Amino acid sequence: MLSAIREVQIPLLAAMLLAGCGTKAVRVLRTREMGAALGPTALFPLRLRRPIAIGLCATEMGLGIALILTAGRFGAGLPATLVRAGMTLLFLIAVGALAELRERRPDAGCGCFGDLSVTPVGPRTIARSVLLAVAAVATVGQAPLTMPASASAAAVSIGLLGGEFLLIALLSPEIGEAMIRLGYSEPCEIRRVSVERTLSSLTGSAPWRRYASTVTSAAPADIWREGCWRYVLYRGEMDDRSVDVVFAIYLRSRRPQVRAAVLDAVTNEVLTGLPARTRAAQDPRGDRSAAGEQAGLDDVRGQIPGQIPGLDGTWPLCPQPQVAAPRPLDVTRPLAPGRPLTGLTAPGTDDRRPRIARHRSSVHL
Amino acid sequence: MQSHGGQVHRLHDHDPSADDVTDAMSPARFARRRLLKSALFGGAKDAGVLSPAESTNALNSEATHTVIGIVLDVSPHVLVLQTAAGEQRLTLAASTAAWRGGDVAPAALRQGDRAIAKRNYVRKAIADRIWAEIGRVTGTIVERDADTLLVDEGTEKGRKILVIPPYATGRIQVRFPRLQPGYLIDVIGLRRPGFVEALIPATSQPPYRADQPPRPPMVSGHVPDSISGTATWHEPGEEAEDLLGVAYPALDPETGCPGHGHARPGEAVAPPDDPAHCAGDFRRAEHYAVDPHLAGPGCVRLPYLSLGSVLQIRNECVPRARDLPVTSCGAAARLFCDRCVVCGTSPRGRVADLTMSAFVDLGGDLASGCFNATITIGG
Repeated sequence: MLSAIREVQIPLLAAMLLAGCGTKAVRVLRTREMGAALGPTALFPLRLRRPIAIGLCATEMGLGIALILTAGRFGAGLPATLVRAGMTLLFLIAVGALAELRERRPDAGCGCFGDLSVTPVGPRTIARSVLLAVAAVATVGQAPLTMPASASAAAVSIGLLGGEFLLIALLSPEIGEAMIRLGYSEPCEIRRVSVERTLSSLTGSAPWRRYASTVTSAAPADIWREGCWRYVLYRGEMDDRSVDVVFAIYLRSRRPQVRAAVLDAVTNEVLTGLPARTRAAQDPRGDRSAAGEQAGLDDVRGQIPGQIPGLDGTWPLCPQPQVAAPRPLDVTRPLAPGRPLTGLTAPGTDDRRPRIARHRSSVHL
Repeated sequence: MQSHGGQVHRLHDHDPSADDVTDAMSPARFARRRLLKSALFGGAKDAGVLSPAESTNALNSEATHTVIGIVLDVSPHVLVLQTAAGEQRLTLAASTAAWRGGDVAPAALRQGDRAIAKRNYVRKAIADRIWAEIGRVTGTIVERDADTLLVDEGTEKGRKILVIPPYATGRIQVRFPRLQPGYLIDVIGLRRPGFVEALIPATSQPPYRADQPPRPPMVSGHVPDSISGTATWHEPGEEAEDLLGVAYPALDPETGCPGHGHARPGEAVAPPDDPAHCAGDFRRAEHYAVDPHLAGPGCVRLPYLSLGSVLQIRNECVPRARDLPVTSCGAAARLFCDRCVVCGTSPRGRVADLTMSAFVDLGGDLASGCFNATITIGG
């Protein structure tokens, strides 16, 4: 059994060395900066970090390849012993370097597997290095590897190899990081969503169909975003009074929630809109997917006393991209019954007529 | 090194025949967004229409504790500043501290200095602390000539010239060992005609190149409403110098920052309008210029917001908090994954880049460069 354990160390260590070099190379290719490598290189002066990082990666690759080449009868004897002794020395140095790194740079990751090794060095990482160093010591003096004599011997070797990989995985914080990256989905607050996609979602929604006949501007008068919501403002006209039609679109890929409100453009009186206060207030943080999301923000806002300085608009203006209207007046689309296409104006014009009568209604979506 | 005569701003294509979106870029538009949100989500009467008194909060009103102006006269007991609102007289107490390249007596301030003073929170006529001719350069080094650096502060703020005097070289290089193009710098110093004289390192230099900031940790679920990190300050640039606001590092890239996407690393854009700016030097500098929008999200995950969004910013060192509107794009702050150690060690990453007035009003020390802050999304 002891001999079988010693035999599986060589392929295992070769795989670890090549994986370490490969992940470091991926990081270098991504960042185009060798000196930006993580890990014990941070212990060295700046001018030495780059050559040390290059040397470490090259050493890992060289030892990994040499370990495989000298595993069998080819290279047996002195070459194999030198390669394995060198590998042992590398892992022993790694143990010391990681202990030193933990002492002097407790916030730094070990950098063993490139970007995946960002977790600060802890006992698990050091224990893994100790395990690999012991495994490397066990390979020194090992006879050349041969094919297993029987199926049962092969099964034992595979089982030992799998068990040791499992043990290393348990000692590797990189596994958790890799699992997170595989299953990661960006929260809507930080997900980039194009304006065109938002407008496309808007035009497919019921609130848009309800208010399409009210909208008179071909392009949005304003577009802005706060967290998971994007807001789109259109000029409009309702009962011969100029109104602003504002939509809030939840930035979700499928069937996003859309809200709408109509305000008098002059008096800011809310003419139609969601009486969302009740829903939001009842579910302040429960359903963050839509109403609750905003309710949470409203709660925070409600706790903030005092004035909002700077809202006199004295900050520099920020140009926004020209955005085509999402077919706001597409006559081929079904419109709300009884809503003629009145008040149609050319894009960009603002045909506001004097307010004649007040109109109040409530719309439930 | 060519002369830029102070700030150099990139030219951005701007379509004069803009549509309704850009035509409607009156400042009132940003203020009105809050009302429109209220109409959508309820609470309209709470938020309501911002009255002029609410929506206008001039710096030199009693609502703030900051006064910015030109020193007209200074005596051992009184400081007279010429501000946008007229002359302001501040009493100098025995405890009043002043900074002008270093700690000095208030009487050492000079006529004509541009000074910012923090009033005492209780006795508002008394100046607690005064900073004179303080400046800051934060950004990517794009060119170096001996002790003179050309620093790109991002697509919105343009570029500044930084001169490191011999007596400050050691102090700066301890914290910024790589004064080379492509690396970040953040120093505080004295404003001089056309440049800033570096005196104090505002942080430690990140070990990475400016276009390679580390990735932020992943967020599961939703981004929390309250996020802690570092709050810094920036010079007004084209803003009103008494503006109370914040340059937010994560404006919506679809509608947020001017110049976004106009400059990529290594991609030349229209050279600044400076006859001394030859094309060869320009291309070399542009090679190192970094568009923060293309360098990743920075090391802290912040929700996308827009101009006019309101944040509550809390100075954890004082503590003091107030609501501030997002008034400009602070994407360059995303390049810095540093911590503030003014009071304890803050989480990594810059969460707000305040105007000088807002920074002082929140109790920050301009000479320190930062305070530990928590921002709460709301507004």
